[in-house]
Amino acid sequence: MLAAMGMSSIEDLFEDIPAEVRMTGDLPLPPPQSEEEILADARRLLGANVAMGERVSFLGAGLYRNYVPASVFQLVTRGEFLTAYTPYQPEVSQGMLQAMWEFQTLISELVGLPVANLSLYDGSTAAAEALTCAVRVHNRKATEKDTVYVSELTPPDRLSVMHNYCQGAEINIKFLRHHADGTLDLESVSEAAGSCGVYIEQPNPLGILDGGLSQIKDIIGEHTALIVAVQPVSLGLVEAPGQYGADIVVGEGQPLGSPVTGGGPIYGIFACSKTYLRLMPGRIVGRSIDVDGKVAYCLTLSTREQHIRRHRATSNICTNETLIALMGAMHMALLGPEGLQALAVRNMTACLLAKQKLGEIEQIHLPHSNSHHFNEFVIELPGSSEDCLAHLDTVGIIGGFDLSAWYPERKNWLLATFTDQTSEKQIELLAAHLAVWATSQGVNA
Amino acid sequence: MSHLFEHNGAEGKGYSQPAPVLPSSSIALPPSLARKNLPRWPRLSEPEMVRHYTWMSKRNFGIDTGFYPLGSCTMKHNPRVNEVIAQIPGIADIHPHQPEHHIQGLLAIFHEMQYMLEVCSGMDQVTLQPVAGAQGEFTAVRCVQEYFRLRGETQRTKVIVPDSAHGTNPASAAMCGFEIVEIPSRVDGRIDLDALRAVADETTAVMMITNPNTLGLFEADIVEASAIVHDVGGQMYYDGANFNAILGITSPGLMGFDAVHFNLHKTFSQPHGGGGPGSGPIGVKSHLAEFLPGPLVKKRPPVGNESQMVIDDMWYGWYQPTHSIGKVQQWHGNAGAVIRCWAYYRRYGRGLRTMSEHAVLNANYLRHAIHKAAKEAGVDSMVRDGAEAKVAKHEFTLSLQPAKEMHGISAMDVAKGLLDKGYMAPTVYFPLVVPECMMVEPTETESKDTLDTFATHFAEVLQVDAETLHAAPITTPVRRVDEVYAARNLCLRHEYDDE
Repeated sequence: MLAAMGMSSIEDLFEDIPAEVRMTGDLPLPPPQSEEEILADARRLLGANVAMGERVSFLGAGLYRNYVPASVFQLVTRGEFLTAYTPYQPEVSQGMLQAMWEFQTLISELVGLPVANLSLYDGSTAAAEALTCAVRVHNRKATEKDTVYVSELTPPDRLSVMHNYCQGAEINIKFLRHHADGTLDLESVSEAAGSCGVYIEQPNPLGILDGGLSQIKDIIGEHTALIVAVQPVSLGLVEAPGQYGADIVVGEGQPLGSPVTGGGPIYGIFACSKTYLRLMPGRIVGRSIDVDGKVAYCLTLSTREQHIRRHRATSNICTNETLIALMGAMHMALLGPEGLQALAVRNMTACLLAKQKLGEIEQIHLPHSNSHHFNEFVIELPGSSEDCLAHLDTVGIIGGFDLSAWYPERKNWLLATFTDQTSEKQIELLAAHLAVWATSQGVNA
Repeated sequence: MSHLFEHNGAEGKGYSQPAPVLPSSSIALPPSLARKNLPRWPRLSEPEMVRHYTWMSKRNFGIDTGFYPLGSCTMKHNPRVNEVIAQIPGIADIHPHQPEHHIQGLLAIFHEMQYMLEVCSGMDQVTLQPVAGAQGEFTAVRCVQEYFRLRGETQRTKVIVPDSAHGTNPASAAMCGFEIVEIPSRVDGRIDLDALRAVADETTAVMMITNPNTLGLFEADIVEASAIVHDVGGQMYYDGANFNAILGITSPGLMGFDAVHFNLHKTFSQPHGGGGPGSGPIGVKSHLAEFLPGPLVKKRPPVGNESQMVIDDMWYGWYQPTHSIGKVQQWHGNAGAVIRCWAYYRRYGRGLRTMSEHAVLNANYLRHAIHKAAKEAGVDSMVRDGAEAKVAKHEFTLSLQPAKEMHGISAMDVAKGLLDKGYMAPTVYFPLVVPECMMVEPTETESKDTLDTFATHFAEVLQVDAETLHAAPITTPVRRVDEVYAARNLCLRHEYDDE
């Protein structure tokens, strides 16, 4: 090949790189490996991790271990999907384009809003982009400009992403208060009327389903966006936010279609009403026709995007999470409406049963036991969550999430999660070990 | 042709589910919470669902289907062992909130990836958290922004980008709140140092540039450009989209950069998945390290009972940088993508240089072969290099401007003609500085045979008359799609008849 170009050495191809910036010597890295050696190393290293499925796990707090049907994995690794890129040439990308148009429809139906994009990076970036989108749309008429209100319960890691995305546009993030029972203080919502947007999660970060959300839109009015973050599986039982006036719905898509995978790649859901369409982030597929008048799909509304609009784009997003969204679409297609409901029932009944069983333990307290929960709730312990989790770990239980990581004053609050993967036996096991540990705390005290 | 919502078979038995642990009647949600109408999703059996997606996959073009010379996207082969590795429960079934002693193996791989990227880029600290190249850009510019805030240099409100830059560069900097200053490239497509000197001043925060640049040309003046920006107190940012050209040969650190992002999915072969996922780690010099999003992975000797849980004599733990900008993704980034890319890098190890050498060899050979084939076919007057250069790096640009002027054949026409030959078309109309541009990137994983055949087919397309090419493609699942119709008659979801 070099000879064909009239060259004698591979060095000739790099003659344009000045000597002063040349790397000298070998990279300080291990020698090359064969496929078998890499696989063996991967099995050794990853095999040393504790997978949730090897234990009894009650850890959720935003990511959920649902069963993903085998056909999803089989189909998504078809090379035509797996090894394609962004469908810039629609004539040879009809498969992925149609699948994403269908995904938009599935999400639209799920959340009750007419428009959905084909994914953002995760729930946190979807939430953050929703805030900046709300300001773009409402700032002109807002009486409290450049301001959004966010639930004070928002997990700090998610709030941190929001701050990073909002600071460039000089958006102030103010907070909505909650009552002691974990429900939203609607009076604090009335303070948010006149701002650009209100962000709230359903179920909220304490696992509570809050019926008060249905009143928010009436309080804030049409010039303030109601942004609701959802756990998508819950929508098999819980009202679609579009039905109670949500303008933008975001969420962690992961429970539909994707394993937890250490927190990524997963996919962020972003859906909205038509008001936000031209100022929303992310790619959108439209249905069109080809020159013969045949139905054909293509990317549309691209003039919002960075490759056209550059620094005036609605977002910098280019690569997104299409393949994981495709897994979500496949899972939704297999579930159907009744299957989604059945999946939600399995989550919620596991949670109900756990509330009953754990509620019987004298030394522990369920501070929000009067509320409805979807698949997780708070347990108030007689000692620190940290100690409790360490104890449960020794008996092979991943006991849940230490809420002091989010709310430092809540040293004794544990968030325990129950999904379709939770059995009655596992709940009984948790109850038994919690009771033993809780009793030992009483003795020590 | 049918879409998902035209299927409506038996009631929701795509897959069977076990019974709930309590009867569904035990759920009593009040009207303010209960859903009234289920989503109008289709009802498919498993074979119907499998056939639907299999049918759609056959209407999609991937690297597995054929040669995919999409410039700037580095569409190299995706080794399948990487997919097998990503399904191991020790990554697929891991929760980011699990304690450190549950994930020593994962953290060891993260640490190895941080280190590998550090030594390849000449940076002092890498974070793996950003999940895409554009997010890496955003993250790095945010770090620089906080660095200047802490130093009280708040007058630095400008970010300089060349006019040939990827659109994400100005978009990411604008998201951070910076004003964008675009500088023109020279006629040969390279950076114009005089134009840079004219705009660089004490209000400059960052210059963002990729090298080799988006025309596939190495910016030999890069050290001088870095000096100009550093002399006014600004920071140099390296867009790693084109990193595939220089691994083991040079590095952003040697060129004077302070921060860099990597497109792991490009350089290290995470499958692009029809638009994502990606992974966009960033590396920075030490003065920016404490601003990175946390947590990072650090290693140290084990203490106490940790020694019973180590995997290679070291303890791997999370570390929170002192002045961290916070998070850009809620979890630890696209861990599953990082694992696949780790597997790809391990294939080369210290020999990563050969990967870049082969990528550059293939690009230059293909450029040569296309010109040669065009000449032999007597159509060499229709196409010229996008920029004059003796050698290109991992990609190159062609201009179809002569074809446009002579025959009214555009770059898009040639692209559609290539689809009919069974190829993915190269990137068209980017970079914007080359008229009727076609940007070609073969990657290192293609054979000489594939390149020769493509060159021959390229020349064949140039021999096709304008009228036929305007009508191309004709062999694809659909013919030229009307994008204007799509924008004017917005149909963004399936609408049911009763609406």
